Amino acid sequence: MIQNMLESTPSYLQTGGFFLVGVAMLMVVLGFVTYAILAERKVLGFMQLRHGPNRVGGRFGLLQTVADILKLLLKEDTIPRDADRPLFIIAPVIAFAPAFLVIAVLPLTERISFANIGVGLLYYIAISGITTIGILAGGWASNNKYALLGSMRSAAQMISYEIPLVMSVIGIVLLTGSLNLNDIIAEQQSVAFLFKQPLAFFIFLIASVAELNRTPFDLPEAESELVAGYHVEYSGFRWAFFMLAEYVYLFAMASLTTILFLGGWQAIPYLTFIPGAVWFGLKFISVVFVMIWIRATFPRLRADQLMSFGWKVLLPLALLNIFLTTIVIELFRSF
Amino acid sequence: MTGELLVFIVLFLITITGGLLMLNLTKVIHMMMALVLTFLGIAGFYIMLSAEFVAVVQILIYSGAITIIMLFGIMLTKHTEAEPKTGWAKKGVVFTGIVLFFLIMFKGIRTISLGPQADDLHVNNTEQIGIMLYTDYVIPFELVSVVLLVALVGAVVLAKKDEKDEKEGEQS
Repeated sequence: MIQNMLESTPSYLQTGGFFLVGVAMLMVVLGFVTYAILAERKVLGFMQLRHGPNRVGGRFGLLQTVADILKLLLKEDTIPRDADRPLFIIAPVIAFAPAFLVIAVLPLTERISFANIGVGLLYYIAISGITTIGILAGGWASNNKYALLGSMRSAAQMISYEIPLVMSVIGIVLLTGSLNLNDIIAEQQSVAFLFKQPLAFFIFLIASVAELNRTPFDLPEAESELVAGYHVEYSGFRWAFFMLAEYVYLFAMASLTTILFLGGWQAIPYLTFIPGAVWFGLKFISVVFVMIWIRATFPRLRADQLMSFGWKVLLPLALLNIFLTTIVIELFRSF
Repeated sequence: MTGELLVFIVLFLITITGGLLMLNLTKVIHMMMALVLTFLGIAGFYIMLSAEFVAVVQILIYSGAITIIMLFGIMLTKHTEAEPKTGWAKKGVVFTGIVLFFLIMFKGIRTISLGPQADDLHVNNTEQIGIMLYTDYVIPFELVSVVLLVALVGAVVLAKKDEKDEKEGEQS
């Protein structure tokens, strides 16, 4: 779809088309965020033997998040007097923009993909790092010790866990011989990388939960220690932007996990009559469910445990995975 | 005006604006933000030159890692202090230096010939870089890794020394 548009001659109509496609994707993501929050609250509720939201919008609380968002948008927008005004205003934008930018490289189905970049995987990791700057800027500009502590924790955590995250996917890159996400999906036509790289999947899942700042790695916004972390001083739609960035990353990270380890839109053998979009949706939803499940199950780590776990357990395991993968590839090549 | 020129002008404006803001802002953290803007602009230039791998690594290393480490340094040392303004005499000397540098560079660049432009660089860009690194440039590449290792060992030594001092301090 996009490929045809990219190859057509430039015109105002084509530019408008690109804009419309972008807006449509934004709407899809916003819809996901709305119902991901509801799903999270519902699943958490069931796991803790509660009902979860069940008042607004029927028995299942289908309009609960919509009402919450409406409330957020109507809230008074406060900026603390001693805050650094320009930075305070721009920080949520810096945090959110990369979250939407990374979606561009994710091939959702065979036909719905936006940019087919040669270094797609690296692009995702590089761009998502910019969000940390937004979080740090927000925490610093708030001029609040809890916000600063939260943002420092967030930056330390993101740097520490980005390394095992990158190292764990090197095995896949070695097996595929490409950083292009479309090539990675094509490589998994018969066997998904989940079965070829189980150790990498394990490391990737842990590191991605840490990158998303979700429980058990939610130290940056540990409610019981830091009030709310880096966004203490934010309210209204600025706060909503930080929250939105977090859930858009959930969308992007779950998509990336699906693409890298579960074969993206590729069907399970003998079931190819079911369209790719359905397969992607099923795999994607199960990844999101696992993320919520992890949140309901594990207690929060301590800051020192977090660091030593990242550097002393995950990183050596990721290196071991690369080592084993290269040995296996060489053995296969020599026979 | 071609599309390429338009993109170049936009990226040029972003990069130069970042640089100028970096020099003119007074708070250190604002300077860092301006620096990020410059790094991103430079990454855009790399994409224009069909060096997509270098562009992404530029964002990953400079805009991501190095900036955050610098921010750490800044936040853990100064908090609200702003830099003092420099005097006019010093500014004049610096300005003359810049003008001289510009004239020399301009004279040197004007007649330079870069040879025919390579137009197949974007084909398997990452693979080409990898092959070059591990064949023609393997010795410099290994030397760089030795330098990194030395830096790593140095950091460990420094960190260890601090810890020992603290323990001694506690005992005495």
